Amino acid sequence: MADRRPELTEVSPVSSDPENSAGGEYHHSEDGGPQPEKHCGHGRGGMGEEVSRKEDRRFITGRGNYVDDVKKPGMLHCELVRSPHAHARIEEIDGSRAMALDGVVAVLTADDLLEYDLATMPTLMDDTQDVLVNDKVKFQSQEVAAVIAEDRYAAKDGAEKVDVSYDVLEPVVDAETALEDDAPLIRDDIEGKEDNHCFDWETGDEEATDEAFENAAVTVEEEMFYQRLHPAPIETCGAVGDYDPGKDKLTVHMTSQAPHIHRTLFAQVSGIPEHKIRIVSPDVGGGFGNKVPIYPGYVVAAAASYVLERPVKWIEERSENIQSTGFARDYDMNGEIAATEDGEIRAIRVDVLANHGAYNAAAQPSKFPAGFFNIFTGSYDVETAYGSLSAAYTNTAPGGIAYRCSFRVTEAVYLVERMVKVLADELGMDPADVRRRNFIQPDQFPYESPTGWNYDSGDYETALDEALEMADYEAYRDEQQRRIDEDADKLLGIGISSFTEVVGAGPGKSCDIAGVEMFDSADIRVHPTGKATLRVGVQTQGQGHETTFAQIVAEELGIDVDDVVVEHGDTDTDPYGLGTYGSRSTPVAGAATAIAARKIRDKAKSIAANELEAAEEDVEWDRESGEFHVAGAPERSVTVTEIAAGAYMNHPGGEEPGLEAVNYYDPPEMTYPFGSYVVIVEVDRETGEVEFEKFVAVDDCGNRINPMIIEGQIHGGLAQGIGTAMMEQITFDDNGNVTGGDFMNYLLPTAMEIPEFETGHTVTPSPHHPIGAKGVGESPTVGSPPAIVNAVVDAMAHAGVSHVEMPMTPDVVWKHLEEAGLERRPAQNLEFELAGDAGESVTDDD
Amino acid sequence: MEFEGEFELEDVPPEQAWIVLSDPVAVRDSLKGCRYIVPMDEEFNFDEYEPEENLETLPDADPEVVADRAFEEGKRYAALMQIGVGSVKPRFETTVTIDERDDENFEMIASGGGNASSSSFSMTSGMRIREHETGNGSRIEWWTEADISGRIAQLGSRVIKPVADKIVNDFFSSIEQQMTDVDERADAGVTDRLRNLL
Repeated sequence: MADRRPELTEVSPVSSDPENSAGGEYHHSEDGGPQPEKHCGHGRGGMGEEVSRKEDRRFITGRGNYVDDVKKPGMLHCELVRSPHAHARIEEIDGSRAMALDGVVAVLTADDLLEYDLATMPTLMDDTQDVLVNDKVKFQSQEVAAVIAEDRYAAKDGAEKVDVSYDVLEPVVDAETALEDDAPLIRDDIEGKEDNHCFDWETGDEEATDEAFENAAVTVEEEMFYQRLHPAPIETCGAVGDYDPGKDKLTVHMTSQAPHIHRTLFAQVSGIPEHKIRIVSPDVGGGFGNKVPIYPGYVVAAAASYVLERPVKWIEERSENIQSTGFARDYDMNGEIAATEDGEIRAIRVDVLANHGAYNAAAQPSKFPAGFFNIFTGSYDVETAYGSLSAAYTNTAPGGIAYRCSFRVTEAVYLVERMVKVLADELGMDPADVRRRNFIQPDQFPYESPTGWNYDSGDYETALDEALEMADYEAYRDEQQRRIDEDADKLLGIGISSFTEVVGAGPGKSCDIAGVEMFDSADIRVHPTGKATLRVGVQTQGQGHETTFAQIVAEELGIDVDDVVVEHGDTDTDPYGLGTYGSRSTPVAGAATAIAARKIRDKAKSIAANELEAAEEDVEWDRESGEFHVAGAPERSVTVTEIAAGAYMNHPGGEEPGLEAVNYYDPPEMTYPFGSYVVIVEVDRETGEVEFEKFVAVDDCGNRINPMIIEGQIHGGLAQGIGTAMMEQITFDDNGNVTGGDFMNYLLPTAMEIPEFETGHTVTPSPHHPIGAKGVGESPTVGSPPAIVNAVVDAMAHAGVSHVEMPMTPDVVWKHLEEAGLERRPAQNLEFELAGDAGESVTDDD
Repeated sequence: MEFEGEFELEDVPPEQAWIVLSDPVAVRDSLKGCRYIVPMDEEFNFDEYEPEENLETLPDADPEVVADRAFEEGKRYAALMQIGVGSVKPRFETTVTIDERDDENFEMIASGGGNASSSSFSMTSGMRIREHETGNGSRIEWWTEADISGRIAQLGSRVIKPVADKIVNDFFSSIEQQMTDVDERADAGVTDRLRNLL
């Protein structure tokens, strides 16, 4: 049995809805302040217990089942021919040399797909993307043709033999140049389009904000570029299309974070009725938002299977994944803060230039073209704010997806947390004090932000204080000053980020993907022996759903976590849901699971009354023991396991037999997890290298289901945050070549670059969520980059450095050191000598 | 991407250097990774063409044959190159056109391009041979402007430049050897005859 160290949890505000909210079921206090810790687990693997991950058995014994593990009799293999040019008109595609090779079955081009009306596909933002390029290549590595062959080798050999002649056009890869008057036109496929302008967007009150800036005692401004990143999941994208002509049914095994919505889109694109399509998303080796969009490879594999009536597998290579699938960020931001002289923030203004690539293919709720970027007032009580954004098409891969974040929250948090540091440095104040001065206070919740968000709950100062104490903040401030005074070789920098996220998309009234509201679902069946199967509409890519969702059922039904199995990722059997991204699984599907379980408990109560020969109103549910008992007579009790037998073998008259329930949950509001991170770095004045001295992360995701899984999520996300801040960037040359498109040039952090993390937590439940949970998977990627950059800036702030762009590689940092006059050069008379046969030796004559 | 350089050949007069550099077979032999450079017509097929092996070059070759196959202005040539750059070893099917060829001043300009499975390039290259200032030997100046796309270009100039430099250096040291052989072993009449034939 799993290791189940009981979780100690704190308590939290009260909710008004006793049935489906945190308040009715959990330990909460009246005043919402920190409370004595109470025991939450009951030893059955319910809420708050550190249950070992059920899925790890198969993963660590090599028994996972990923798309590339799917093998079908007669299966063919697909290789895509990609354009070496970023911008070029296709003159001719000649597949004859490929077809002449042994094993090559077909060469598909846009012309072939046009016959089936599959040459284009809609993006999630209602743009139209070529499946295979029909006329003009718009980014390097765009899909031009597909070779289908008996094995993967033949497919690859065939792809090399497809002759494509291009009329090469001038490319434009950055948003600023793309919007210049004489820039080459990329989207001549859009009727009447004369420039590369994609869309404009604004939020907040421009007039009031301008006025606040005019009247402000202090204003600060900083430009910052959130570079182009790639989620780089270890498993690349892939699919096995498997059309069964006998059943006239198309099955697609694919790396999908959102199988149900993908089924709907497949139905719309292909014309195959939705009930004749089955999408199976088996084990997925990391998604991070990369597997939310539809990619041409999926469509080609499915279409080729339909045409050839044989299964067709397509598996992407690493460089194909980085170069052609959804990138993240690429936001060029200008931030401004208006404040009083004592650091009270009066207004925030931001202007963004966004590079969306060749198509508008961001994966986000359709009514939010800039995602949730308008959460940029962050954790602060600001009177007024205004944001504007222009987006451009460029000759780069489409994207702008939510890489381990809730739709541009990462960019927003980076902006505001950097700007607070800029303000603190301008005022000569401690950045922790500036934050305290401006935090939304616990009694202000629910809090409506100036850009229209309705924050559910928060206690920001407690989290910050906890993080500062864990980091030994004051002592490090002293040490920092000492090093400055003594002109030490290594400078110390302390960075803080007190972020607030908006996750759990989302309420159907405002959030949809391709028109489908962003609810989610759960279907629980308790079998006659008391074991249960839970099917959810979300899908896991490694988050541990098979454990955490089972824990919710265990908690709600009083059964053991090992008696619950969780299924997901198969549209034939699972209830419709919108998938896993934007930290929405726990806030939405987790809520659906709790409510479905409570529906079962309602029915179980009447069966319990029957079994206990008591009136239903005299039967009580005891969460602690996980049993129903007669009021005032706890010894007369019955478990859900016993009730399950009754439901199938001795069901009361007037009730349906069986014990199952379904819930489709439309969240009333988003949830707002938050946290404070403190990062302490050493900056080497000679080399520009940055070393982490301390890395503290205090997170508050409301009630915690499995603290061990949460800690794992935090560790992984912090590693990705370090990659973002220090190493990762997709770059292009002037010809539109991707020069950061493989793991040789796109640097991911390894264990070598990752310091030890110290994690802590506070618990402020969401008042509107059935189990008070908020979602946590993305907090660390969102919250850590500004803390890291703030730390590096902080190390040089005394010499006037106000900003350092990511990724902060040693040469970038060194240039700032040099500019600020802080650089230290090696001793001048250091000599290197070759000592003949004895090998190399280094002599320092100094 | 731009490359340029200069090469000195001691003891080899410009006339002789020009003769060797005008011979596609001599160039092929000195260019690492090059399988052939042959005149191409509309029917040319990279897959089917099998180059003749063991072709003789000067001083062993028949001067008439060498003169006959020498580069001609306005003519197109097919070249097959296989170059290893980092982890990538594409096989470039290349077409080269001799744009200018000046026998008096020993200048040649060629342009062309090539495709491999996931890379392509186009380029213009030039070369001029002058008499060495010492009056003994030649000085060869060369330059290339290349537009590179695809997988090779993605490796970036820090990877490409050293490879290009090595190819060029190897080429000139090998061609120098050929020229020296011609100088030492061919009777003076052969080069004079070729001069007239070209």
